[in-house]
Amino acid sequence: MGLALGELLQMSEAPHCHKLPGLSAGQGRICQLYQDHMLAVASGAHQALLECRHQFQHRRWNCSVLDELNVFGPVTSIPSRETAFTHALAAAGVTYAVSRACRDGHLSSCGCSRMGRPKTLKKDWIWGGCGDNLEYGYKFTQGFIDVRERERKFKKGSRRQGQSLMNLHNNEAGRRAVIKTSRVTCKCHGVSGSCSLITCWQQLSNFREIGDYIRDKYDGATEVRVTKHGRLKLRNSKFRLPTANDLVYLEESPNYCLRNVSIGSLGTQGRTCNRTSIDLDGCNLLCCGRGYNTLKSTIKERCQCKFKWCCEVECKTCIKSVELHTCK
Amino acid sequence: MPGTILENLSGRKLSILVAILLICQITCFLIGGLVAPSPAGSQSILTTVCYDDQPNLFTDDGRWFTSKCKSINLDDKHAGLNASNYVFMGKMPLYNMDFSRWHQNLVGVLQVEMEHGKETTTTDVIDLTLDVKLGYRNKEDPDDKWTYHSSSEEKRIVECSSPNKEDKYSYSCSTVQLFELGSLHHDYYLLNFRIPVDDKGTNAKVGFISDIYLIIIHMNVGFTKVWLSLKTVFFPILIMIMAWFWNRVHLLQRTPALLEYLLMVVGGTLAILDAPLEFLTLYFDIPFMLLLSDIRQGVFYAALLSFWIIFAGEHMLIQDGAHKNTLKTYWMHLSGILVGCLSLLIFDLCERGVHLHNPFYSIWVTPIGTNLALSFIILAGISAGIYFIFLCYMIWMAYRNISIKRSVLPTMSTARRLHYEGIIYRFNFLMLVTIICAAVTIISFILSQIAEGQNKWDENVELEVSSALFTGVYGMWNIYTFAMLILYAPSHKQWPTDSICGDNGEEVEFSRLPTDPSPNEISSLTTFASKASID
Repeated sequence: MGLALGELLQMSEAPHCHKLPGLSAGQGRICQLYQDHMLAVASGAHQALLECRHQFQHRRWNCSVLDELNVFGPVTSIPSRETAFTHALAAAGVTYAVSRACRDGHLSSCGCSRMGRPKTLKKDWIWGGCGDNLEYGYKFTQGFIDVRERERKFKKGSRRQGQSLMNLHNNEAGRRAVIKTSRVTCKCHGVSGSCSLITCWQQLSNFREIGDYIRDKYDGATEVRVTKHGRLKLRNSKFRLPTANDLVYLEESPNYCLRNVSIGSLGTQGRTCNRTSIDLDGCNLLCCGRGYNTLKSTIKERCQCKFKWCCEVECKTCIKSVELHTCK
Repeated sequence: MPGTILENLSGRKLSILVAILLICQITCFLIGGLVAPSPAGSQSILTTVCYDDQPNLFTDDGRWFTSKCKSINLDDKHAGLNASNYVFMGKMPLYNMDFSRWHQNLVGVLQVEMEHGKETTTTDVIDLTLDVKLGYRNKEDPDDKWTYHSSSEEKRIVECSSPNKEDKYSYSCSTVQLFELGSLHHDYYLLNFRIPVDDKGTNAKVGFISDIYLIIIHMNVGFTKVWLSLKTVFFPILIMIMAWFWNRVHLLQRTPALLEYLLMVVGGTLAILDAPLEFLTLYFDIPFMLLLSDIRQGVFYAALLSFWIIFAGEHMLIQDGAHKNTLKTYWMHLSGILVGCLSLLIFDLCERGVHLHNPFYSIWVTPIGTNLALSFIILAGISAGIYFIFLCYMIWMAYRNISIKRSVLPTMSTARRLHYEGIIYRFNFLMLVTIICAAVTIISFILSQIAEGQNKWDENVELEVSSALFTGVYGMWNIYTFAMLILYAPSHKQWPTDSICGDNGEEVEFSRLPTDPSPNEISSLTTFASKASID
């Protein structure tokens, strides 16, 4: 994506496209056409970044991004699992945000309105079958995100071409994750409120659930290679063929133990770990066997809280003593 | 001159008629499937949260929060504000569109999205109290001139489940109906509501709300147009067939039989249902149109159900002496229908009737209302059960009697036997048609539920299933009634006495038996049966 988010999110009005660094030429053109969508695109990317950090808070690679300005930075230079994840998540974030923005009526070309709708959306006869903003978000994101991969041509079978194919596949997986996790809700409104007439609509799920879904896909991602004819093929033919919902990657990830900016690794030094866990967040794995420091302290914490609509949380204060472990 | 057209129609003519009706039926399905969009559409509107600096003026009719209000982000913490400062706003419809009167009616549904907080938990059943008001505006009005429509303080019960109780995960909550407008007379509607809190525990269980969606459901313009065109076509055809039928009956030198009266009633109720009264809503504000449509549909189906019971009864072939063909004979059988329809009518009046006064009303929120509504529905269900037991019993009796009489057939002369067999065949044929119609109705009802519940991502399917089923079933009952009126109209053919053979082998004719006691019977099958029982 490479949008300058910090700058963007502070603007209340639609930003000017030429001020946005990181847009490709094609994206710039779409930006000109759909200026009002850009705030949603930016907030979607930002949400994806936060979600990425949440999903990977206990792993060696904790969605390390070098600075706020370049959301998905150098990690994209190697076609690893993590790259697959970030692409899918960014596509999901934008799909989600555009769909959501449609629903508060601020975008000019959503759903049923005729102006600038993607041509592939279903025809309506005064609002029949066009109220679905999820479909709109999907189509818009397809145009906006994928154009980046399509505007450069690489030699068939080259590494760059493979990476481009991989990105396209993972973008699609991300968009589909939003649809897959959405729920269908129905309402009966026929004679006497009976179900002789029933209407259903798609309900976006919480972005946390979308993040969980894509994280599951990350854990089960498939390794592929690019053939001479410029197509993706399974590296190990014993594995199941990935569907459009699954993530694919071309190269194994580095171990992310040591700091190496060129591969997008910050290293795990100084990270807090869980001494008792044998999982990825356990000190043994997270610190790559370098050992850890322990710090004992007492902290005050809010507990037994009760929420009162709209703006109050009544809590008690608890005092806990905790041990903090950090990697050497 | 006995008999109905059904019995005297040659096989060839009958098959031509059936073919024409079948073509009409298929046309109805295809019109719905290919021309019309889906019957109803929806829009999900994300409500904007507005800051209200003078909460005590909320109920003021002239004060509205529109998209120009000062909006609040629910994720941010705002010190010093309380619940009454938060007003949720939803403008209908979205974007720069406006409602057309062809959209007919509007249902508003609320969907409250709540998140788990780091420190807070909420119970699973939440009593939600809302202060709501609804306003409208027309295109010619100035931009900010909203007119008061209705307001209310409403309670709703939201049921939530939370499979994952960690931070930022959302509850999965049930949707609640907020309002229903029977007529969509104005171009824009505006909903303002807030979630008041007081010391008495109002809304005390409400959790951290992240979003509130307002989902509006309306009829689609295309569907309404197709629907009304169908009605406009059916209505005059039906009136013509009814006039022809009644004319036929009056040509006879006798008073009309019960079944003939009943056919007129069925035709009449269908005519009421077919009358395209909805055209009036394009010019007048008629909030009771939704209620009226319910009643019209109910009355037609009640007439049809009564017709079946009496049809089966008249063909039960138990004629003990004097012929009893008045409605009184069937009071017991019909009481089930009457009780069922009355309880449904009262239920409908309790919900949609009150909507005329307060569109936010719901009978389901108070325990008394729920019990009342449930008891009416259960009563209707019981009556439906009793009705079907009666109907099945009578059809079974009719078939049993027919098969008993059939055993007498071999003793008759060949031509007469052939003819009687033909009558029984055609009676069975019509019973079969009725059963098929009922089955198709039930199946299409189930199919439309399935068709709606699925995700529609397949772009290649051009057929709109639920619309096709809707127009198909509607057309089917119209065509069914047409067929009944035509086939059960008295035949005008004058029969030569005691001549057994007709002009050709196809059109076998037969005469009324000289000992026949009742000159006003509708069907020669009935005549045959009563004759046989006298024998």
